[in-house]
This record gives sequence, structure tokens and C-alpha cells, in this order.
Amino acid sequence: MKQLVIDFQKCNAGRDCAHECELECAIKVFKKDDPTLAALHIKAHEDGGGHAVICDQCGDCIVVCPSEALRRNKLGVVMLDKKVCVGCYMCIGFCEKGAFEYDPDWITPYKCTSCGVCVKVCPHGALQIVEVPEPAVRII
Amino acid sequence: MGVIVVNEEPLGWHEGMTVRDILRAKNYRFPMLIIHVNGLLIAKPDYGTTTVPDSAIVQVIHLISGG
Amino acid sequence: MDQLVFDPSKVMAIDHTRRTEYLGALLAYRTGLRTLKEVAYTPSLPDRGYNNRSLYVNVDTLEVTEKPVTQQMKDVFIGGRGFGLYHLWNAVQPTTKWNDPENEIIISPGPVCGITQYAGTGKSLVVTLSPQTEIPIDSNVGGFFGPLLKFSGFDALELQGKSTKDVILFIDGVKGLIRIDEAPEGPVDSHVLGELLTHLYAENDADLPNVSVVSTGAAAEHSLIGMLNFSFYDRRRGCVRFKQAGRGGIGTVFRDKRIRAVVCRGPKVAGDLNHPADPETIARTGIKYHKEIREQDPHQCMMRRNGTAHIVEIMNAYDLLPVHNFQFGSHPDTHKIDSSYWQQRCTQTTVDGCWYGCSMACAKGADGVVLKTGPYQGHMVTVDGPEYENAAGLGSNCGVFDPDYLLELNFYCDTYGICTITYGTLTAFIMECYQRGILNKERTGGLELTWGNAEADLEMMHQMARGTGFGKVAGLGVKKMKAHFIAQGWGDPQLINDIGMENKGLEYSQYMSKESLAQQGGYALTNKGPQHDEAWLIFMDMVNKQLPTFEAKAEALYYFPLFRTWFGLNGFCKLPWNDVVPADNSSQPEPQKVPEHVQNYVDLFTATTGIKITKEDLIMQSARVYNFQRVFNIRMGKGLRLHDAAPYRSLGPVTREEYESRTERYDKQLLDELGIDPAGKSTEEKMALHRTWRTDRFSQLMDSVYTRRGWTLDGVPTLERLRELGLDAFPEVVAVVKQFI
Repeated sequence: MKQLVIDFQKCNAGRDCAHECELECAIKVFKKDDPTLAALHIKAHEDGGGHAVICDQCGDCIVVCPSEALRRNKLGVVMLDKKVCVGCYMCIGFCEKGAFEYDPDWITPYKCTSCGVCVKVCPHGALQIVEVPEPAVRII
Repeated sequence: MGVIVVNEEPLGWHEGMTVRDILRAKNYRFPMLIIHVNGLLIAKPDYGTTTVPDSAIVQVIHLISGG
Repeated sequence: MDQLVFDPSKVMAIDHTRRTEYLGALLAYRTGLRTLKEVAYTPSLPDRGYNNRSLYVNVDTLEVTEKPVTQQMKDVFIGGRGFGLYHLWNAVQPTTKWNDPENEIIISPGPVCGITQYAGTGKSLVVTLSPQTEIPIDSNVGGFFGPLLKFSGFDALELQGKSTKDVILFIDGVKGLIRIDEAPEGPVDSHVLGELLTHLYAENDADLPNVSVVSTGAAAEHSLIGMLNFSFYDRRRGCVRFKQAGRGGIGTVFRDKRIRAVVCRGPKVAGDLNHPADPETIARTGIKYHKEIREQDPHQCMMRRNGTAHIVEIMNAYDLLPVHNFQFGSHPDTHKIDSSYWQQRCTQTTVDGCWYGCSMACAKGADGVVLKTGPYQGHMVTVDGPEYENAAGLGSNCGVFDPDYLLELNFYCDTYGICTITYGTLTAFIMECYQRGILNKERTGGLELTWGNAEADLEMMHQMARGTGFGKVAGLGVKKMKAHFIAQGWGDPQLINDIGMENKGLEYSQYMSKESLAQQGGYALTNKGPQHDEAWLIFMDMVNKQLPTFEAKAEALYYFPLFRTWFGLNGFCKLPWNDVVPADNSSQPEPQKVPEHVQNYVDLFTATTGIKITKEDLIMQSARVYNFQRVFNIRMGKGLRLHDAAPYRSLGPVTREEYESRTERYDKQLLDELGIDPAGKSTEEKMALHRTWRTDRFSQLMDSVYTRRGWTLDGVPTLERLRELGLDAFPEVVAVVKQFI
């Protein structure tokens, strides 16, 4: 499956960039000029490092979705069918990575779909889309 | 041999007695408990390591579920 | 003794998509329907939780009318159970009997019902005059019907009249039509009928989740203990499942009206159909709660794995599991039917909420059950649950510790349309009568109803569905059976009355109240009868010793019944309130109330309706409806102190064996509480002392509770109390009370 990964050897958690990845995601994917609405978030730690909130396509949300609105596409990426979604937000509450997002303007939640628009704009080349095996389905 | 009071009933005490020992002795199996030893709240991860002094007043509050 | 750990590798590998199908009759059913009436209407979606109209249908005259939901109705009665009681009050007279045409069945969700972001928000409340208690009964039920009814444009559905032929009421909230069809000959049992009608009224496969069927089964036609099944389509299993409006015989009224089913087809559900005033607050509250379930549930009740069955072993450990008609509180075979078994037997790879967004997901299901008896022998079915009440009522209380038989009993109760709690308690009573010679093989028509004889138990249930033999007697319920056995001269009347576990005509649910005075009140001092949904105080009282005085018990019996009434006004389930608690709950003031969750409910109500309330207002909202219901009972000739009397089995040890199973406890009580040295006294002498003490204590509790509730010592709400609640705006309510003051 396609998975977005970040290399913190290269990423400096926004200290020397303009969070191009988040901005590009918000504008291109969600048509909003507000990086807080992006489907990935890079956070700087006070002690120097950082971490990323990114969907790793683990599929836990597929297990808990009551309306079967979440499925893997041909590339193994977990996709939300907005027409089927009932807006219960269990996917958000059950995502251990905090990668499923909520925007008050929308009824349906959203997350990273490994589309790669962020990869292209990262000035440090820290982001990439990799191919990894699909994890086994968990009982949640 | 000492005695402690658990939910207003006496219970025999022994050196090194932990909160978990009390739960075993009373057969308190309910998963949602609030335990105070001499007024001090004991967190669930500490049940096995918190020892209870002689003559302690122990309160094991069972919350409600199911019903 | 430590908490059970879930081991996924032990879950039985059962294909949850396989079961016997009943769609063969679909074509015959489709062509056999004869339309008696069709009315067009304009569908609507709620605004801030209300459509501001309800639907009235008379199945005799075929009248179909829309009624306005007034501001006064919303202010005083809120919705759900409140609307049900309001409509029922207006429909009946003090002389109305359950099977008179003017009796109604009212189904009402509540203003918050139908939101998808918080757990337990798909509930409907069903209200009718009960065939068992002859006063209003209310039952809180899941499934999709309530939300779909709301999204079709109605805050309540009133069903009145008695048809002369079987009818199906169909509400199409997409096309905007209401149709009454004469039903062709065909199945009445819910697992068959529910599947047929879901497929019949859905436009296509994608539409199946948008259809919900209310139905009952064959036993509801021949007993007074019929219940209603509310369906929901389980996408992963590909099957129709049910939640039950169980208590008090609502299914019996349904069939007495010759209603075979009520079907609602609503629009495709989305997250904003309830049009709340403040969706963002609802979303944030819901997400916070889902996270809490994910983080806390695996370390607390494991509701997602076990459902309510997790307390089988807990009740057994605390000597509170009803065994052999509430005689004993534990049994060595309990491990065979506790959650360590059910979490292996129930499918764990599905989504088990009975409405969208229920992260608690307690509606477990056992798949691949092949039936051994009855008309569906050999069929492979999915059995709902079992829930705690079923495992305890059909299981331990009757001495049935074989899980396969327990599932079969559970299945047939469901599809035949009878209440599992009621059936469990009445069968336990019958089995004890059999044990004590009040019944025998001759009197039961050959059924050997000894403890644990599941085959005889099932045969009695099949008889109930056929309306034959001793099953028909059993279907009268405990109260009428007691009178019948006494009239036949089959045993000591006092013993029969002592061991028959009913109050107001309703059977007790499955908890032992004997050792908790507060719970004795929690059962007997209820509006509808002894159901634990008003108050469950056993741990607070008996184990924690938090309610040492009559005043403390009365306070708990004031607060908790009112708090819990509120769920039924708004369309909530009780379980998400306290079957999981926030990580920091233990450091909160009054942790028993789960303060953070109470605040969640206050926030959800305000965010839905736009009406700002506090947690104190919440209690006042309930108090209005609760006291209205008490006055309603009085109006129907009940509702007084004498009707709150409790059978002695619920208060103390009736028999020698019971006393001797807890000699240490009872002897100690004689010494500590009565100052009597038990040494040298016979068991009978000690039992008599206990009886006087316990009966007197219960009477004192009644005094304290009535006083706290603002009632006279005869149990009548005072005029001052009615005034405080604003119920003096209803002259008819005041008139009822005035007769007693």
C-alpha cells in the first residue's frame, strides 16, 4: 500500500521552512488557505526534534466505521466515500495517531490519502510516498 | 495480627499487604473501582505495588455499570 | 479474580455472513399486499431536534392525521417518553383497558435522537397501557426506527384503534407517503418478517439500511408479555437485526390491534439531519467520547467485546446473580455462561452499534447458531447478545447453564416477540413452584419444569407461541399465575405470593435486591414496575456503604430515577453514561454520577435544541414527566402506596435454604441491627425476626422516599410539588391529585 513517510533527518519541523507541505495540502486538496486544515501536521518539539501527525493507512478506521464508508482503494490507501459516510466521527476518535481530522465546515471527516502533493513541495525532500505491505486487520 | 477497615468492615492485615491483596481477599472483581487508603486516592496501575499500613481505613467505591 | 483479558485468538471462527434466508416468500408477499389507504404528505427534516409535528394513525377507521407538536409539549414533556405519556393521557379514560380500541401505542424518539456523533443516540420510547400492569408502560429501544421516523418528518407516532384484519403501516419519508396495507397470510415471527419487509420496502440493496421494521411474533398473540422488535440492517453481516422494547406487554397490544408491522423508510442518513443549533459542540463532544471509549473501555467494562454480559461474573462474585428464582446469588456453573465464554462465541470483527456512532457497541451477536427445537429447527440464525439480563434471566435464574440452550431461548424469545426479562423471571417462578410441589407434571400438562431443564423450558415457550397448553398459562405473567395457582388451591398462598417476583404486575429484572434496601426501593418505588432502568444502587448501598441512612437512600432514590428518566425524554441510551468513565473520574466530586458525562448530556441537549440548560434543569425536566406519570398511574386507579408493595423474596429470605445459604450474614444482622443474639434460635425464628425487621425497614424507606419526592405518605404528589413543576397548568392533573389530598 502507498504510505506517506517523513524523514526527520531532513525535516527540521518547520524551523527553516514555511510548512509548505501543510499549506500545499490545504490549498490543493481542501481548497482552503489555512495550513491548520491540512491532512498532515508537522510539530516542532521544544527540545529540538519534531513529530508528524500523518495517516499511515493502518486501516483501524475501516474496522470501526459503522457505514462501511471507509475502504482501501486499488493502491491500498484508505479512502472515505463521502456519500456513504454518516458523519459519526468514530474514525476520528479511534485513530491512535490523531490523523483523522474534523473541520466544522464539513459534515464528513478527512485525512491523508497518500496523494503526494506535499512530497513535491517539501524544500528538504523529507517526505516521500513508499510502498509497504498492508497490516493485518485488528479487532478494535 | 493487625486489622484494617474496608468499606466499614474489618479485614485481617499482614505486613506488605497491597491494595490488590485486599481486592483478592474481598473478591472485589468489578473493573471500575475508586480506592482510597486513608483518604488517599490510589491509581489503578498502583494497586499491585501500593502497600497498606496496619489500621488503615480503606474505601473501595464500586461505580455502576450494566444496570 | 483479575479482570478478564480479551484474547482474539480464542474467538470462534464462525462465518458471520451465513444464515438461513427467508426471502423465498418475497414475491408472494409483494403481490399479496392490498392497499387500504394511501395518503401523501410532505416529508421534512427536524430543525433543532424537532419536526414540530406528530403522526396519528387509526388502524380501524384508517384515519391518518398530522398533529402539531406545541411549544407547551416541548417545554413540559421534552419528547420521547414525555410525548408518549402526553398522547396516551389524551387518548384514554380512567376506565380504559389495555385492549380497548382507544388505547394507543406511541413511539417517540426525542429531540437529540438521531444525531450520529455520540454513543447511544438512536433510542425511541414506546408507551402504552400495559396488559400486565394496567398503567402506562414505557420501554426504551434501539434500532433505526426512531431516527428514521424523525428524518421522515415526525416527532412521534400514535397508533390507535383495532383493525379486523392484519395490517402493515408503511411510512415512506423519501416519497412522502403513508400507506396502510392489508397483510397477506404469512409469517409473523420477527426474524422472518423483519427480513421480508426490509427487502420488500427497500428500493434496492443500498436502501436496506434506510428501512426499519417494528414487529413482534406469534407469542405476543397468545400471552400478555409480548414485546416489540425494532430492526436495523447490519451491513457487515448482511442481515436484519433487532433491539427490543421489551417490558410490559407492548407487543401484546400491537397484535391485539392486528398490526403486523410498522415500517419506516427514511432518507439516507447523514451527520447533520437533526439540524442541531450547534453542530460543532456535538462533534467535539462526540469525538472526545469516542476517544474515551478507545482508551478506557479495554481496561474497564470491555463493552465493545462483551456487551452487558460482562457483569455475569461480577454479579456472581458479589452474590448478586439471581439463581433459582432469586433464592441465591451465585452458582458454581456460572463460568459456563459468563463473558469469558461470550467473548469467544460472539463475532468480534463486526460493528455492533444499534445506531450509527455508538462506539460502545454493546449489541453483540452470536452467529451460526443452528436451532435444535421448534418451528425453525435446523435453521442457522444470528442471535442478538446475549445481554446480561438474558444470561441471568433465561440462564442462572432458571438454572440453565448450557450456553447453546441459552442462545436458543434468547433467539425464540426474540422472534416470538416476548420479553426475555419477563420470560426469565416467570419461568424461574414456575420452576420454583415445581420444586415446591405447587406445580407438578400433571398441572403443567407433562412439562417437567425442573431447574435447568432447558428442553421443557423451550417447549413451554413453543406452547406460548402456539397458544396451547401450560405455555398459555405462563404467558399470563407472574401476577395472574399467582392468583390462578392460589385459586386452584395448589399451594400455600403466602408462599406463592412471597416467591412470585412481580410488583405492579411486572416481573422483576435480573438483580438481587434482598441485601440492598436502597435497591428494594429502586425496584418497587418505580413508576412502571420493577425494572432497573430507574435506579441501580446495589453497589452504592450494599458494597460501598455510601447510603447509611434512610435520608441518604431517599436522596439516591430521588436523583437517580430522575436523572435516568431524562435519557428516555431525549432518545438516549443509558449505557454510555456509566459503562465507561473518564480517566480522571475517580478524582471528581460525586464520581457515581460521572460528572463529565452529565456535562456532556447538558451540552448535547443545549447544542441540539439551542435551549441553554444546566444539570439542575435536566433533573427538573425529568421531574415534570416523572410526576406526571405518577399522577397518570393514580388516574388509572393505581399509583398509591399499596401498589408499591414488594414481594418478600425481594426484601429478604423466604425459605430456610435461602437463610441458611447466608447464615453468617443474617445472624450478624440480627446481632448488629436488632440487638438479638441468634444463638440457640431456630432458623424459622430467625427468619421471622428478619421478616418483621425487613418489612418495617422497607416501610420506613417508603416514607423517606415519598417525602423526598414531594409526595404524601400515600405516594401522591402534593399540590405544592405539582406547582413547583408547573404541572398545575393542567387542570386534569390537579383534579386527579385533589381526590387524595
